[in-house]
Amino acid sequence: MNPSRSRLRTFRIFARPFSHQFQGFLFVLPCILLLVLVLGFPVATAVVNSFAPIWSEVKKFTLENYIKLLNDKLFWNSLKVTFIFVISTVLLHLGVGFIVALALNAEIKAKRFFRLIAILPWTVPDVICGLIWRFMYNPTLGIINAILMSAGVTTRYIEWLASPKLVLPSIIFADVWRGYPFVMIILLAGLQAIPREQYEAARVDGATTLQELIYITIPNLMRVILIALALDTIWQFRRFGLIYNMTLGGPGHTSEILSLYVYKHYFKYFNFEYASGMAVVMAVIMLIISYPYIRMIARKA
Amino acid sequence: MSLKLRKGMIFILLLTSFLLVATIVLPGGKKPEVVEIVFSDWHLTEPHWEKALKEAFVIFEKENPNIKIKLDPISYGEKETKYTTEIEAGVGPDVFHLHAYSIKSFMEKGYLYDMTPFVKAEGPGFTDAWYAQTIELMKKEGRYYAIPGDFMSMVLYYNKNLYREAGLDPAKPPKTWDEFLEYAKKLTRDRDGDGKIDTWGFGTIGAISPGFELRFTPILFSHDGSYLSEDNKCSALNTPEAIEAMKFFNDMVTVHKVIPPGVTAQDPGTVRTQMANEQIAMLLGSGWTPPIVDTNNPDLKALEVLEAAPVPVKAGIRPKLTTTAWLSAWMISPNTKHPEEAWEVVKFVTSKRMEEKWFKDARVLSSRKDVSGEYDELLRDKFAKIIAAELEHAKFVPQLKEWPQIIEAINTAAQEAFTGAKSPGQALGDAHDQINEILSVYRASGEKCPSF
Repeated sequence: MNPSRSRLRTFRIFARPFSHQFQGFLFVLPCILLLVLVLGFPVATAVVNSFAPIWSEVKKFTLENYIKLLNDKLFWNSLKVTFIFVISTVLLHLGVGFIVALALNAEIKAKRFFRLIAILPWTVPDVICGLIWRFMYNPTLGIINAILMSAGVTTRYIEWLASPKLVLPSIIFADVWRGYPFVMIILLAGLQAIPREQYEAARVDGATTLQELIYITIPNLMRVILIALALDTIWQFRRFGLIYNMTLGGPGHTSEILSLYVYKHYFKYFNFEYASGMAVVMAVIMLIISYPYIRMIARKA
Repeated sequence: MSLKLRKGMIFILLLTSFLLVATIVLPGGKKPEVVEIVFSDWHLTEPHWEKALKEAFVIFEKENPNIKIKLDPISYGEKETKYTTEIEAGVGPDVFHLHAYSIKSFMEKGYLYDMTPFVKAEGPGFTDAWYAQTIELMKKEGRYYAIPGDFMSMVLYYNKNLYREAGLDPAKPPKTWDEFLEYAKKLTRDRDGDGKIDTWGFGTIGAISPGFELRFTPILFSHDGSYLSEDNKCSALNTPEAIEAMKFFNDMVTVHKVIPPGVTAQDPGTVRTQMANEQIAMLLGSGWTPPIVDTNNPDLKALEVLEAAPVPVKAGIRPKLTTTAWLSAWMISPNTKHPEEAWEVVKFVTSKRMEEKWFKDARVLSSRKDVSGEYDELLRDKFAKIIAAELEHAKFVPQLKEWPQIIEAINTAAQEAFTGAKSPGQALGDAHDQINEILSVYRASGEKCPSF
């Protein structure tokens, strides 16, 4: 072999570990290790635990937790409540977020100030939001009933969080108040990326505002809307602090979402193995929900 | 990028990763002379208690210069979650405080340090200072896992000013539940003339809360009812006494309306606020009630305005046990690196002089006989003497590791009945079945419980 070609070949073999891809991998390696430690280990423990008998010191493999789940009415109830909560809040976040984003995208004075005001609810932690709204919803001490009674809207103390019919709408309202800014920010960024020329051209052609919305705004925003929907759905599925502080799942399991039910079995009843089984089921559901989003991101990459 | 530069960057990256791991994994330096004990208690979130504990630890650190106390406040509702997570992770406070509600579960899970060698080293008769029934709950298979702290019976508190306004004699509190209901109806009224009820006769906890147990249990026991069968293998909610107690509890909300609206969202803090604002005239509470109500509204002068009385009983019966007792306990973490020092802290906070201090500062009674039975200031106090006297009529709830799940089933049944989602009978029946399912682990195969 030609010595120079041999040296080049040797160099390429030696240089292979230092390719751009490998360098990139090395730079993210600490982060991956941390994720494996913080996420991977607990997930693996939960999966292993889910196949162990409840409260048993002898860890033998069993499917009893999953069989129990199938017959657990409260588990299915919590799943139903979760889906109602997630679907309602995600759609309302989108609706309210879209309207506010459109308003903030307009050329108005003090635009930055209004954007700041619009984002403020999102800065309130979940737990604090739950506590604030619980106080506001209090039938005799809360400000909501006080205002409604002063305005003559009602003469009775409305039991916002104590009524099975009103509890979920009340929680959803509080969650939409806190959560819409997240979707609003994403949509606002998308709106600002739409070329102005499209609107100008449409106006020249005599398009109305509604037609601009339907034929320009929404089609251009479709990808952004899907991303916002996907992310919001995943996050809403995991919602916990707000409902924990408002009702702890009451009255009578009517607001008991799955994350709360898992929490109770883990930290209140110490049924670690059974709770692990539910957590695994919850994780599988969330993987299924997030699969379209992951595919979208992977395709883009 | 040159080869040398690349190699250098990789080297720096690997070195940084190694140093990061080393600081986490490698043990610390030599043992310090002063030992730090982390002390965790939900009382540290209550101003009057926080002051008392801080004063106490100044004394402790003077007497034990080799021990430094680090305070770790925790909310009452979150303490089990925090301690469970920390202990499972191999960390956590050295000394912590729990309600009796959780002791059994913690014992069974191995979350408590075996204090037996320390107790034995104190000499024979050390545990004689405490009421026998409280010490028994701290043991598992003859070994000590906790030392009892506060021990108080649940009693009826009422606002004597509201009594007078309603034409009732504050010196004659209700003795039976029938009288209680009559009083509650008279006390439920529109005081400011705006056409709306603004004061209700009774306030209670209907939210999912450990506090529910302390408020429902006296009603159940004073109707001569029980939660479980004698052998703790079956639910006893199917007895006429239990059904009557639940119906009475429910009717106060749905029929007589002597409880403020929204009861299923009312937790202990809300009820005390209602008492402080004179929105309710009566509640079930214990030693902690007057100081907390007073803190919520100093203008009320709760320590003067409130009075205490034994829990009413069902007319025509004289059950021996009519109420329940609150019991708390101090324990040491199994992960502590300083068990001897932690034991010194536990001994200190449960000592006679400190238990007397807790009464002086926070009006809580003690599980020590030489305090609740002998401390002069306590026996002269208008609230404490009633609470102490009722201890002989108090019974603990069943001490099972499944108890939190059982009581939540009953809490939920009460909510379902309050809201009309189910009739009281149906709600109680469902709770009965659920509890029997939970207790099936204690029954032999084929052994069945009576149906509702």
